[in-house]
Amino acid sequence: MPATDSSSAAAPLSSFGRSFLSHRRDQIPPPPDHNHTNSSSSDLEIDAFQRHAADLLLDLLSDSDSLLSLAWTRRLLDSFLICIEEFRAILFAFADSQPLSRPTLDRLLLDFLDRAVKALDLCNALRDGLDLIRQWRKHLAIAAAALSTSDPDPDHAAPRGEAQIRRARKALTDLTILMLDDKDAGGVVGQRNRSFGRAGTTRDSVSHGHGHHRRSSSGGSSGSGSGSHLRSLSWSVSRTWSASRQLQAIGGGLTVPRANDIAATGGLASAIYTMGAMLFVVAWALVAAIPCQDRGLQAHLTAVPRTFPWAGPVFTLFDRILDESKKKDRKHSCGLLKEIHQIERCSRQLMEVTDAAEFPLAKEKDPEVQEAAQELVQVCESLKDGLDPLERQVREMFHRVVRTRTEILDYLSRPHNAS
Amino acid sequence: MDGSAELEAAERVVMRWDSTSASAAADEPMLFGDRAEAERFLRAVDDLRRLAPPSPAAVGSPRRLSSGSSAGGGAAPAVQVAMARLEDEFRHVVDEDDSVSSSVGRRSSYRSLPSIREIDLLPNDAVADLRAIASRMAAAGYGRECAQVYASVRKPAVDASLRRLGVERLSIGDVQRLEWKALEAKIRRWIRAARAAVRGVFASERRLCFLIFHDLPISNIAVTAAATAPATHDTPFAEAVKGAALQLFGFAEAISIGRRSPEKLFKIIDLHDALSDLLPDVSDIFAASKVAESIYVQAAEIRSRLADAVRGILSEFENAVLRDPPKTAVPGGTVHPLTRYVMNYSSLISDYKVTLSELIVSRPSASARLAAEGNELAPSLAELELPEPENQTPLAAHIIWIIVVLEHNLEGKASLYKDTALSHLFMMNNVYYIVHKVKDSPDLWNLIGDDYLKRLTGKFTMAATNYQRSAWLKILNCLRDEGLHVSGGFSSGISKSALRERFRSFNAAFEEAHRVQSGWCVPDTQLREELRISISEKLVPAYRSFLGRFRHHIENGKHPELYIKYSAEDLEIAVNDFFEGVPPSPHIRRRSHS
Repeated sequence: MPATDSSSAAAPLSSFGRSFLSHRRDQIPPPPDHNHTNSSSSDLEIDAFQRHAADLLLDLLSDSDSLLSLAWTRRLLDSFLICIEEFRAILFAFADSQPLSRPTLDRLLLDFLDRAVKALDLCNALRDGLDLIRQWRKHLAIAAAALSTSDPDPDHAAPRGEAQIRRARKALTDLTILMLDDKDAGGVVGQRNRSFGRAGTTRDSVSHGHGHHRRSSSGGSSGSGSGSHLRSLSWSVSRTWSASRQLQAIGGGLTVPRANDIAATGGLASAIYTMGAMLFVVAWALVAAIPCQDRGLQAHLTAVPRTFPWAGPVFTLFDRILDESKKKDRKHSCGLLKEIHQIERCSRQLMEVTDAAEFPLAKEKDPEVQEAAQELVQVCESLKDGLDPLERQVREMFHRVVRTRTEILDYLSRPHNAS
Repeated sequence: MDGSAELEAAERVVMRWDSTSASAAADEPMLFGDRAEAERFLRAVDDLRRLAPPSPAAVGSPRRLSSGSSAGGGAAPAVQVAMARLEDEFRHVVDEDDSVSSSVGRRSSYRSLPSIREIDLLPNDAVADLRAIASRMAAAGYGRECAQVYASVRKPAVDASLRRLGVERLSIGDVQRLEWKALEAKIRRWIRAARAAVRGVFASERRLCFLIFHDLPISNIAVTAAATAPATHDTPFAEAVKGAALQLFGFAEAISIGRRSPEKLFKIIDLHDALSDLLPDVSDIFAASKVAESIYVQAAEIRSRLADAVRGILSEFENAVLRDPPKTAVPGGTVHPLTRYVMNYSSLISDYKVTLSELIVSRPSASARLAAEGNELAPSLAELELPEPENQTPLAAHIIWIIVVLEHNLEGKASLYKDTALSHLFMMNNVYYIVHKVKDSPDLWNLIGDDYLKRLTGKFTMAATNYQRSAWLKILNCLRDEGLHVSGGFSSGISKSALRERFRSFNAAFEEAHRVQSGWCVPDTQLREELRISISEKLVPAYRSFLGRFRHHIENGKHPELYIKYSAEDLEIAVNDFFEGVPPSPHIRRRSHS
């Protein structure tokens, strides 16, 4: 089946790719050398594909400050979408046009399909994770709105009143419970809340502890009755589903293609391997960033030989993200997305600044509150701008994987040409 | 003065119920458990708003005037306390056990399609209380808190409802792993559950949300940049229901992306049709907010996916028929299992023609025929002329293509028989079966059309003729006149040796035919009879006439019994053994020699 109507950016992609390549050419290791004697056009295209993948990864690594921010994650997904389009194009340009060992190619394609299908459930889980962040943002927005003043000029505005502060603190406490509760299914919320709120001094947190115990738990949700009614989202996957296991299934056993497999498939084995690796890397990074059930990052790619130009960038990316995950203040986070960290930081900062406040608010305190409130507003903004597009991209990733899968299945069911 | 006293009184009422105060007892009853207290509280809240209205610039900002009210910036703190209290109360009321819901039945107060059945999820007085609370909170600028609580409580309730309807939490991986038979059962259950979920659960939730939030400004915090598109009164509903809805439709999506094997066609059409039926309801229920709309969009996408799957499976079926390998010849030349399978499938296709006519919009593609070309089993298929009458629908073109492919495949199978007569018999049987099945199904006949049916019938007739020719020509030739007469000589007449040879050949050939062809099969009773009659009609008179003319020559010679073994009647009886599919008794039954 010809790779025809990819409705997306297939046409401008090639020009993008080429200009990209020529810009980066001096930075990449020498291309893999599949076949000394005849460098057919398929070899060239497959080489270009691999180097393009490497370039995309290098680009993602180049801006280390924005690693795992919403904007960066969107670029990650863009890179994936670009890769899969190129992969489809190569596959369907060359799968029919030259003599190759169908059994070998079929085997490799089937393996790829198995991995690709695992990514679909992951996309759905990530969509839920993004929605979770959206719920958090709502609480932030309430706090931000509560703290807003009539006059933006800090010198003229009256200090914030007790009502505003209490309202904001309530919203932020709810948020904190949500974030802890969702991360830690079945965790005992009451205890956490007390420890957070410095038990006994802050009226809000203690009363919430009281408050929970009075309430009946809502029907249908599991875990501790006390916090469950504040869950805005129970995971919509079954209890046994695990993102970590999905990742393992996507990347586990992805082995370097053997030389005779590469030769037997006219080099397509390398393209399939590359696409499998890219799928894994993107999935892995997304799971690192976005909250989902059982987010373990243990899954890894088995050693990729340096002959593959993307090997270096891939492992650098793994390292950078793993480093991030080990940082003291991110170790227990429910997602490494920068904005999640900002949410945690902002809300904690605001709670600290307004802790044990006396009203009317002391003159010196208000600028601190003002500053914290401003940051809150900024986080809300960046979330508002970034979440919806990211969700659309994740859905697009789903669509592309399905489409590629369908096309490959069609191809596999066609009779073998006389070889 | 009076206003100030009223204000203080109102504040006192409110502060009494401060859930954050250190004096709040752990077991304090809910405010709304006591009607009188609840009314008093709400009046106090109203008083607060009336007597100390918030400044227009920003709701919740501290008041500038300080008219003898409590320290700390006016009534705002009291308002905040009241709102916090109301939020807790709201949560408590809306969290009430659903099973307490009362009447079931249609409501006309809410616009709905006739198919939708909304029920009361909460008792009327609970709804009234919620409305009372929500309106106060919204008026005070705390609408979003209220909406948030609503969604967070209703969500698990919706999930539980769907669970009760039998909606399962299956991942795409789960669905891939299940056997198709198991999936068929799940699809049936899903169709029932989805109808109840959309038309009952979601519709009722929407109504509840409407009753509580309609016309309330629940997104009235206008100051900050954090304001998104203004929330409509639908948003709490959409938030509560979104996860469950996506999970529900997710099952249909998982089915649509499975492997395309022919056995799945009809259940997937059922699923597609069920979803199509639900889409107008989905559109009606999930229309009022951006969040809700995205649910409709996804459902529509999934319906498209199912349509694609249907088209893909039909193609896969056609390919499978094409590629069915010759394997070993079916014994006795009977109807091949492939023929039965394909014709049954085609009958079912015609049963489902309403939906399939909508979904199948292109004729068997040129690429399908080219694929046939590349197939070493069917090199000549691409050159076959497909009948294409002017007003033929694409679906009809596909059915005809399927039968063409089947025929072609059968020809390949026929060539496996070493005996040409048997391969003709095989074709005859199978084409006859095809014709028969078409005639049995008016829908199928309609799709195929008279012209093509005529062609098929012609093919069948030709196969029958070919069979007769290759099986019987040699035998009948034994009974010819030519070659027996000897010219000249003084006994101008019959070459006795030639005659004896004829009789011997005839006997041997007939016995052989009888032995072999009794083991052949013509499953259709009527066809079997007709074929026997047709053979008899040629054979018996020819033999009778041959006997009549030449028997005395043999009877005058030695051992006539060696040559005239059978009477015409014997032959007639023997023909009845043909095509039984059973090896015959070793000898041909004979009437006693006359």
